[in-house]
Amino acid sequence: MWSSEQRSRLAVEHQILQREGFSQFSVYHHSADDTYYASGVATSNSGSMYSLYMPIPSGFPTARPPLYITKPSPLLRADGSRISDSGVSHAMHTLSPHENGWVQICHWRDARWHAGIVLQKVFLKAHVWIEAYEQHLATGHSLADFVRTMADVA
Amino acid sequence: MTTSDPNQRQLIREAMQAIATRKPGRSKLVYDKTKRTIVAVAEGAQIAQALNITADDADMFGVLTLSSEWIQEQWPALTRDGVVPLSFSSWDDGDALTQSELCVHASASVVYGELLLDAQPTQPQLVAIILEKTDGTTSDQGVFVSPDGATYRGRVQSAQPQGASKTDVVFADVEPQLALRRSSILETTILKNKTALCVGLGTGGAHVALELAKCGVGRFLLVDCDRLSVGNVVRHPGGISQVGRAKVNVVRDLIMEKNPKAHVEVRAIALDQDNRDAIANLVVVADIVICGTDNRQSKLLLNELCVAANAPALYGGAFRRAYGGQILRVRPKHSPCHQCFVATMPDEASDVEVSSETDAGEIAYSDRPVAVEPGLSLDVLPIANMLAKLALLELVADSSSTLNTLRGDFDAPWYLWLNRPEPGTQYADWPPLSESSDEMTIHRWYGIYFDRDDACPVCGDFVGSLAAHYGLDPAQLPSLEDGE
Repeated sequence: MWSSEQRSRLAVEHQILQREGFSQFSVYHHSADDTYYASGVATSNSGSMYSLYMPIPSGFPTARPPLYITKPSPLLRADGSRISDSGVSHAMHTLSPHENGWVQICHWRDARWHAGIVLQKVFLKAHVWIEAYEQHLATGHSLADFVRTMADVA
Repeated sequence: MTTSDPNQRQLIREAMQAIATRKPGRSKLVYDKTKRTIVAVAEGAQIAQALNITADDADMFGVLTLSSEWIQEQWPALTRDGVVPLSFSSWDDGDALTQSELCVHASASVVYGELLLDAQPTQPQLVAIILEKTDGTTSDQGVFVSPDGATYRGRVQSAQPQGASKTDVVFADVEPQLALRRSSILETTILKNKTALCVGLGTGGAHVALELAKCGVGRFLLVDCDRLSVGNVVRHPGGISQVGRAKVNVVRDLIMEKNPKAHVEVRAIALDQDNRDAIANLVVVADIVICGTDNRQSKLLLNELCVAANAPALYGGAFRRAYGGQILRVRPKHSPCHQCFVATMPDEASDVEVSSETDAGEIAYSDRPVAVEPGLSLDVLPIANMLAKLALLELVADSSSTLNTLRGDFDAPWYLWLNRPEPGTQYADWPPLSESSDEMTIHRWYGIYFDRDDACPVCGDFVGSLAAHYGLDPAQLPSLEDGE
């Protein structure tokens, strides 16, 4: 059951996305089962599109929301293997994949997450991850070569 | 004089009996240095080149300890039947017999006996303890005071414990004897009814709980999902014989060893979102919440629950390899909360000890493992001791206490301690302890002030602040679109 503070927070999070240039993402309320999620499509500099899905955990904002790439699926490495097979990977900056095989972007580890981080920043990091991913596809180098570690930026 | 001298043998026997009863006798024993033997002489005799032998020198007698409270409970049956059965844990080959009712951990060897009042032993194989009326003072631990005010001494009549030629009987009046040791400095009657919720019972958390138990805190709620492992033993108060047990149970028993009247409830659950309701139910009944977990998400969850319940909390932790440590005290709405701390000092909030595989797993990647690097118990305990003291201050805050003279000293929200100037940290260049009188050095506590964040998402108005920033009215926000 969501508290009024949580519902207000999510409503404000949606407004921040709309007003800070992230209007391709929205926070949604699924009234049938009273759950929340945020989603949208990120477009890379090369024009590729990535569908992002963020189920909001019941403990939000204290609990960290996971962020998955649902399309393309499966998301592949430069060598053609599935990124989701890496699991929690520093080289690819990923956390445990979704049961559907969607890659989970490591935006913040649990050990670094806190309630003061807004969803806009999470989607910003997703954009950074996508650009690094495309550099990985172009060069074969790991994502860690293109983005700083979470410990450095958190 | 030789030992074949009948007079000397009689004197020795009398002296030995006097020593056994701890009372002056007609003769005393001395060690004659010139003859290199023990002889008995008249009590008033002065013997050159001799050492007097006291009862302490000759303390080769066993001790049998009875529970005064238990005897008082059994008094109606004892006065009616003349005998009640009882049992003992036998320690050190029978040198010490401790009544089972006093034992949290029983000995592997149990001895059975009977307590007698105006009656004769019924079974020769039992240890028989006979209560005999005396005029002894009530402060003597060898004296039992019955419910009707009469005083008794105990005498073991039969089935002497192995290895002891005589057994002293003492009466443990646990609660008053423990309270006596604390009462001059602490308000034991206040602490007896206070509840400490201790979440995370590693080395530091377990130590804090035990220190509070020793001080007389009477009610504990213990939360931890781990079991004691062999590797824990070098730091944890629990020992090798406890390996494999849930830490909540290990610490519960250690508390009961120190404060047998304590009321201890245990929950072998993790501090995580799955258990937030269960933890929240504990927070609301706690007078102080002590967080000894190592990871941020558990601390922030507990912080959220404590702020919501307006419960004071203390968050303690060691830095990596315990080169130092910190304590954050949160008085909701009056001081910064843990979320304020994380937002204000992210580096300090992220410097944590990696003391277990679980801790390492929280921050490791499959392709970049994190080493387990626990610090020494020696380096964790200063932090735990300070945390226990701050907890006591919170528990006596609303009462008159000698501890309250410390209020001016401990009014900062955050406390920092360094065990060593760890290379690679901001403290690496601190001056040596011996060369500094006014600069920050190791082995000193520093109380550090920082402000509460009015826009904190936990203890402030985060939503209102954000809404104001964007010119929104939080009460008039449009509804979110219904998703698929």
